[in-house]
Parts: sequence; C-alpha cells; structure tokens
Amino acid sequence: MNNPRQITSLRAAAVISSTIIGVGILSFPRYMTEAGNSSAPLVAFCGVLFSFISYWLLASLCQRFPQETLFVFSRRLIGRPLAAIFTVVIMLLFIVLTGLTVRQFGDVATTVLYKKTPIEATIFLMLLISLLSSRRNVVKFSYIHFFYLPLIVGSILVTILLSLKNVEMLNLQPVLMAPGLQFWKGTREATYLFQSSFVIVLLIPFMEKPGHAVRAGAWAIFLSGAIYVLIVIASVGIFGAEETKLLIYPTLEMARSAAFGEGFLERLDAIFIIIWVISVYTTIYTTYYISAYLLHKLLRFRDQRMASTVLLPVMFILAMLPSNVFESYQWALHLGNAGMMLMFGYPLLLWTVYLLRRHKKKVTS
Amino acid sequence: MQDWKDKYASYIDKQQSSPPEPKPASGSRLTGELKTDLPELQARLGENGDLVVRDFLLFGAYPAVMLFFSSLVNMEQVREHVLKPLMAPPSGQPEILENAGGMIHYIWSTAVQVTQGTTTADLSALPQAAVKGDLILLIDGIPEALRMEMRQIEMRGVEQPQTEQVIRGPREGYVEKLENNLSLLRYRLQSTDFRIEISPLGARTQSRVALCYIDSVTDSSLVAEVMRRISLIHTDGILDAGYIEQFIEDQPLSPFPQVQSTERPDKTVAALLEGRVAILVDGSPFALIVPALFNQFFQTVDDYTERFIMGSLIRIIRLIALACSLFFPALYVSVISYNPELLPTDFAVAISGGRAGVPFPAVLEVLIMEVSMEVLREATIRLPQMIGGALSIVGVLVIGQAAVGAGLASPITVVIVALTTIGSFATPAYNAAIALRMLRFPLILLAGMFGLYGVMTGTILILNHLLYLESFGVPYMSPYIPGKWRDLKDTLVRVPLWWMRRRPSFLHARDTDRLPRSVPAAEIDQILRQGDETDE
Repeated sequence: MNNPRQITSLRAAAVISSTIIGVGILSFPRYMTEAGNSSAPLVAFCGVLFSFISYWLLASLCQRFPQETLFVFSRRLIGRPLAAIFTVVIMLLFIVLTGLTVRQFGDVATTVLYKKTPIEATIFLMLLISLLSSRRNVVKFSYIHFFYLPLIVGSILVTILLSLKNVEMLNLQPVLMAPGLQFWKGTREATYLFQSSFVIVLLIPFMEKPGHAVRAGAWAIFLSGAIYVLIVIASVGIFGAEETKLLIYPTLEMARSAAFGEGFLERLDAIFIIIWVISVYTTIYTTYYISAYLLHKLLRFRDQRMASTVLLPVMFILAMLPSNVFESYQWALHLGNAGMMLMFGYPLLLWTVYLLRRHKKKVTS
Repeated sequence: MQDWKDKYASYIDKQQSSPPEPKPASGSRLTGELKTDLPELQARLGENGDLVVRDFLLFGAYPAVMLFFSSLVNMEQVREHVLKPLMAPPSGQPEILENAGGMIHYIWSTAVQVTQGTTTADLSALPQAAVKGDLILLIDGIPEALRMEMRQIEMRGVEQPQTEQVIRGPREGYVEKLENNLSLLRYRLQSTDFRIEISPLGARTQSRVALCYIDSVTDSSLVAEVMRRISLIHTDGILDAGYIEQFIEDQPLSPFPQVQSTERPDKTVAALLEGRVAILVDGSPFALIVPALFNQFFQTVDDYTERFIMGSLIRIIRLIALACSLFFPALYVSVISYNPELLPTDFAVAISGGRAGVPFPAVLEVLIMEVSMEVLREATIRLPQMIGGALSIVGVLVIGQAAVGAGLASPITVVIVALTTIGSFATPAYNAAIALRMLRFPLILLAGMFGLYGVMTGTILILNHLLYLESFGVPYMSPYIPGKWRDLKDTLVRVPLWWMRRRPSFLHARDTDRLPRSVPAAEIDQILRQGDETDE
C-alpha cells in the first residue's frame, strides 16, 4: 500500500493536459489570427508540434534518471553551483508565471463576470485555494488533476461542438498562407501555453512506469493541442479572421453564440466560465506547486506547507504589479519568451553534458 | 437497608479516615478457609447494592458461600438449577465428598445444571468473573472456587432498524447485546473462514469489542491496521461503537465520515464479503465498517435486493438529491444576486416580482430560511413522536406560507429551501447528510460574496478535500479516483450482480474473485440467449 510509485501513465497525462488547458484558452484564437489570419489553425498546430519537441527533450532526459527529479540529477551532471543557479531561475520563472496567470484570470473575471467584485479579492481567493491544495503530496496532486480533467475537456468539447454549426467554411479559407516571420512568431507564442508540461519532472520519480513519461506527455500535449486547434478553428470559422482579431476573448464570444435548446439555456457562457475557473485553477495549481516544491527543496524545509505559505504574498504582489490588462499581457509575452529559452536551452545543455559524459565513460572503459 | 443519609456519612468517614488502600497484590491464591477468603473477595469487590452473598450448607453438611450480582444473573435460574440441588442431601455414595477433588467432581457431574463453568484457585480472577456475570461458589476447606456462567441480561428483541429502513430486504437489526449481534452475523455467514476476535476495551467499562473479518478474503494488512488502531485506544469507557469510531478514523477534523456505521447485519455481511472489517461493541446496536468510502454513503440495501435497473436509477436519484442539498441554495443566491441574465427572461421577472416585498438581500433571506429549517428539523427529532408530528406541521406552515405572506421570504426561496431539505433527507447515511448540510452554509456565504466564482471556489475546496481524504489507506473517492475502470461497475450505476465477479480492487482482498474463475463467465447470459433462440 505504501508504494510511492503510484502515478499511472494515464494520470501523468491527465496532469499535463489539465495543466496546459488554462487561462490562455479565452484569448488564444486572437493571437493565432494576428499571426496567421485564416491559416491560424495551422499556426496553432505548428505550435503544438514545437512544444512537443521541447517536451520530448526534457522528458526523455528525465526518463534516464527514473529515481530522481531534474533538480537532483542536474547537480551530478553540471555541478552543484550551476545546477542551483538554474533551479533558482526556474523557480523564479514559475513564481512569476503563477502571478501573471492569476492576474490574467482576475482580469477576465472582473471585466466579464463580476464587475463589482474587486480584482484583489478574486485573485486572492484563487491563490488561496491553490495554496491550500499545494500542501499535499505529489500523488494527491495527480488525483486532483485526474478528477477535474474529464470535466474540463468534456465541457469544452461540448461547447465547441455546439458552436460548430455556426461555422462558415469560407471564413477558414485560405487554409495555408505563405509562412512569414509573423507566422513563426505566432507559433512561438502558441508554445508558451505548453510550458507547464515541465511538471513531468516532478512526476517521474513517482510514476509506475517512468519509461512511459514521453508517451504520457505525447498523449497529453496532443489532447490539449487538439482542443486548442479546435477552438481556433471554431472561432475563426464563426467570426472570420478580421473579426477575431478585434475580440478580446474570442472563445468566450464563441461560447455565447452557442445556444443550447431554444429559450432555456440561452447563455452557455456562464457555464463555460464555471468550467474555465476549474481549468484555470488546475493550471495555477501546477505552477504554484512547482514553485512551492522548488522553494521547499532549495531552503530544505521539512515539508512543503511552509514553502507554499511563504509564496502566497509574493505571488499576490506580483499579480497586482501590472497596471492594466494590456500591460499584464505584455509581461506574459516577455515571460513566455524567457521561459521558452530556459525550457528549451536547459534540457539541451543537460543533454549535451550527459552525452559527453557517457561518451567519456565508454572511452575510458 | 441503610438510609441514604447514613450511607453518605459512612462514605465520607471512609474517605477521610483512611487513604485509599493500596490495591491487593494480584495473583493471590485461595486459602480454602472461608473465614479469610470471603472477606478478601468482598473487599476486592467493594460494597455493592446488587452483590448477593448467600451462605448455606452444601449438601446439608458443608458450609459454603455463593456470591453473584443480582443485576447480571437470573435469580430464578440460580435458585432452580444451582441452589436447590446443592442444598439437597447427596444421593448415593456420600464418601466421595470427603476429599476436595471428589467434591468438585460430584458438583460438576451430578449436582448443578449449568452449561459453562470452571474451577480456579486464583483469587484475583474472581472479582472480574463476578462483574462479568458469573456465579462464584466458595466451599469451606477447599482451596478452589467454582465459577458458573449464569449471565442473563434483559434485552429487547430483534427489530427492524430505525435508521436504515428498506423496502425489500431483511427486517433484522442489531440489538445491544454482543452475542445476539454476532449470532446474527454467524447465521448469515456460515463459513469457517469467518473470524471474530473479542477483547475488552476501556479501562473501566471493559466493554467487549469484537473485530470481524473473513480470513481468506480480507487483506491481512488491513486487519492488522485496524487492530493496531484499536490497541492504541486508551480511555476509561467505551459506551458505544461511536466512541471507537472517533478514536480510529483517519481525519477527525473532516466533516465527512470515514467509518460507516450500520444497524443492519445483512449490510455488515455484504461489507465483510467485499473484504472489509467490521467492529462491534457490546452494548451498541451499531457495527462499524472500515474502510468506508464516499461512495458507500449513498448506497442502500435496496440497491442490491432490487433489480439492477431500478437499483441504478434510484442510486442516481439519490446522488441528485445529495447534490441538491449541497448546491441548490448557493447557486440560487449567486444567480439571482450576480448573474440573473442566466435565467430565461420570464422566469427572472417572476423571481424579482416575488422578491419585491422582501427587505433582505438574497443571501440573508436564504440563510434565515435555512437556519429556521434546521432548527425545525432538530426540534422535531428531539421531541416525542406525538408532539413532533404536530410541531412539524405548524413549523412547515409558519415557514412556508406565513413567511411569504409576512414578506420575510419570497415564494421561490421557500421552494429552494424545501428542495434542499428534502434532498438532505434522501441521503441514506445520516452522518454523511449532516456533513453536506453543514458545508451548505459556507457555500451560501461564498455565493453571497463572490457569486458563481465563490460557489466554484467552495466546490473546488470541498472536492479537493474529498480527494485528499483516506480511510485506512484507501483513497476516499475510490474507485473514481484513482480510476480503476473495473470497480466502476458498482458506483453510480449498479450493473447486474453476475457481472460483478470480482471484489473491489481497492480493498486489496486476498481472494479477488467472488466466484472461482473456473465457473463459466455468464451462465445467465447463455440462459437468456437460449430463451431467444427458442422464441425464434
């Protein structure tokens, strides 16, 4: 009963995909159309592919050390001081990421749903529930994600299906446009959403079959990728590329246009928002959890409770720093850039060292 | 008989004059001298109103003393089957009564008519035997005492359990006496693998606690864990199974029950067959079943005795009732005070029309009504049945019609509160229903402060708590989490019994199959198919 390896590949996949589906879902089609007009779905698809490559780099490396997390074996590979620096940088990245995600959530909640509720209250409540659930161990962490995922995916799929009947095929053409600089920029922006798949690093030591980490991630990324691409298709198909660029939250508008039955549930968007709260919660929960875990390891606290409590005010202040919606998006994009460099560069560095060392070992033996 | 005044005075005297005397050393042996043994034994037993010390001449010749508690034994039986034959002169050869062994042998074999009894020379064991309900016989000149089991306690008959009524199913419920309860279990579970471990618990009450499991089925580490937790209990009194529950549950601070208590032997046996462990306590008409999961609290015996389609349907209805009792008022508050656009226009207009004269905000209105409903419910339970019925009618009238007429609440609020209350009554387990009723209030407050977002936050907190809970090492939300598809056969829906060939895997039963695998998978399916063929 006390076997620590309790996380099945299915559950690991659930963690990753419920983490990926998050706050960005509302505005995602806008970025994609800005980058690629009517070829937006293709931009999103390329983004998914790139994210998978970056994920593969990380996960296949971690698979080689099935007993330890990245932060432990990186010490052996590149030495204690350098590994510590990278760990700190990753931790800061996730702390800022949590702060900005919760801020974006607060922006949507106050502008769309609760105009009278102060944004501070909304943000604080969200951080508080993440804090309370971050005190649990990794196995419980995976339970929570696994429980919510069907809810999230199911209701988003229903919304998309209901709105598909309003799609004009003409809006989606031409499917392919000449991929210019703008196109690749959009692709890069799409990969930002998938950065939290980094969470696999924490899961591997607890997985039943650590060797299946890449497979689990592949499932997860393609499931959530498919949802993102479908959302882009639906909203571009309904509104057209030019209109989508003008909408702040195209997905929300899409949910609004999807009526269910005549006259009874005219407004599907509120139900969509409810589900969206859960999906945002799972995302913030993951980034919060990673931050708390790293802080707990760095400062060698006895358990994670202290670390997660300490982080709450920091994240709250971070979330309140941007002065308006525009600024918080700007910050999020910068953070995304920085994050991508790190998430791509660090595993690459570790891989190189790993291969060199193994080569050396082979030569000497 | 002493007067109470004298009794009090002598008690005070005794307290002041002598410090509490040290406990007599245990392990002392009988001397055989009645003059020394009897006072020693009486001193150990203390002064008791119901202690009977009867001296008589054994077989008309030998001085002897009989000692027992009149509250624990049937005096008529003592007189008829013990005292009468012992006082009568011996029949036949009186010479074997000369030595001690012969005397005891004669008493056991010829004179007394009791089913169980032992001979002991250990004086220190006698007081405990006496308080258990044994009759003790001391004979002058023989350094051994005879213990005869004469315990008989008045007991109510086996009746239909009050808390768990069924439409179709056995009508038997536990009573207070442990032996009766165990016999109800043995009667249903005639298996040599059925184990019952009995030991006293509680320093002063020495209540006998029975741990039941099926040896070849139940995970031995589960049994060990339950035993370990019980062995760690240090308290002076166990008056009911509920006391044990509070000592052994995983999370005492959680509102959700993690141990199931039942009054039904059939339910207990079903749990034992799944690989769970049951705990019974002498004096309590409830059995505890561990591990207990969230799932179990909205299942009833009817689900299994009725055909599977009905069972599943009723179970789903119960789950809806449960969700109603938790979420309805909170959703109502948040929708009408924050998101009225969610409602169809006509309905929204009707609601605001109904609320026109109400002076409070929606949160306060709902809270007032909910609280008064809870008060009414509690009052109805505590009152005798004759008054309770009348009170509930008055209460319902006051809360329903008059509150609306007085402008205290809107009609729709009354509807919502009524639905909530009915929903909470439809949850079969009383303690689980209380948990949900309790959590309803914070949800209403959150809804009043943050609208739907608040309800969502509260729900996430509750769900996370449920996902975090464990009962004896089994996740509380099993089998939904950690997703075992096979176990989902008996959760929201109940599939036909012949499909459930395996025991729930989360219990780690030793014997995973309810039937040996060699038994063909679905004979019943074949029979059904044959029926089809003959029709054609």
